[in-house]
Amino acid sequence: MMPERRPPVRSVLREALLVAAAGSVLAFGANQVSPRGLALTRNYFPAGISHPAPAAHDVASTNGPTPSPAQLLAMRFKEQGLQSVDGRQAAQLFHAPRFQQGKIVFIDARDQQHYREGHIPGAFEFDPYYPEKYFPTALPVCQAAEQIVVYCNGGDCDDSESAAILLKDVGISNQKLFVYTGGIPDWITNGLPVEVGGRNSGNLRSASK
Amino acid sequence: MNTSPSSRGRIAADILAVLARWLLGAVFLYMGLNKALHPVEFLKLVRQYDLVQSSLLLNSIAASLPWFEIYCGLLLLAGMAVRGTAVMLIVMLVPFTIMVYRRALAIQAVMAIPFCAVKFDCGCGAGEEFICRKLLENFLLIVFSGWLLAGYGRKLCIRYSLRSCDATTSLTEENGSNSSI
Repeated sequence: MMPERRPPVRSVLREALLVAAAGSVLAFGANQVSPRGLALTRNYFPAGISHPAPAAHDVASTNGPTPSPAQLLAMRFKEQGLQSVDGRQAAQLFHAPRFQQGKIVFIDARDQQHYREGHIPGAFEFDPYYPEKYFPTALPVCQAAEQIVVYCNGGDCDDSESAAILLKDVGISNQKLFVYTGGIPDWITNGLPVEVGGRNSGNLRSASK
Repeated sequence: MNTSPSSRGRIAADILAVLARWLLGAVFLYMGLNKALHPVEFLKLVRQYDLVQSSLLLNSIAASLPWFEIYCGLLLLAGMAVRGTAVMLIVMLVPFTIMVYRRALAIQAVMAIPFCAVKFDCGCGAGEEFICRKLLENFLLIVFSGWLLAGYGRKLCIRYSLRSCDATTSLTEENGSNSSI
């Protein structure tokens, strides 16, 4: 049951090249016209293209106790001139009177969907992959603040680091920037409230430990 | 209508090959759409493979690959340039499967768990999956692509080959085969 009339290999390869060439043109064109398309020349990872998650060889070559992903991220923050806070410090900042006065600001560096599903009450939305959308709101608030706590999903999520670097690059002093390494999972684990929907929606949900 | 066992077998192979082509096309269309609708998520997943150190190259891969998969899926569903598309699928699937396998090995080493218990989002467009299942899926996709490359799945094609003479042949065969299918 062999198929009849096999074309020569060269002809199949030529067809594959045609498919590849036409497909590449169409693919880049589609990305260009797509409202969600990526900007090819933008550096979406200002902290570095390499992913910060520990690779097997990194862990194997480490002497002594293996650093957790959060510890590795904290080390990276230090290299970027950023400071980090843990869950206890983040909660203290949240409960400080200066938070109500707008002198302490929380910045949520996750995407809109995750933000709306639950964020630290009063946190401003700032997706570092679409900074132009969020700068008009977030920038004046950050300029006026004394301390800015940026967070994302914890673990090996480095979107908070990207957001902090973007803010630093537009003139926010890195002395004011703190990255909450545990992020929202740590916040919820600590039983602190989250706000569902938009900022100041009033829809608070107490997280249970 | 009397048909010999060999012709019945041939008809069955033809039907299966067309179904394989449609399945392959539908899978690539679905996976490509999932990525194209969430390009930032796909960009992050591509980054995890540490393929390139240039943001331009990384962005180019993440921006073009989903749409290229959609395009290949549509070509297979329509039955256009089937062999050339099958070559491209193999060119994409084989190195990608090796990369997924290597990443799974790295995760296994870090987490110290059995290989088949490794579960992660490989950027394939279907979310988190167990590695053994993913590798099996990719193996089947490569086999189907190889089957199409061998010349099967030429029924119900708009233009099986871009070569004009092959196209004529394809349509002639098509007309002859529709009655048998």
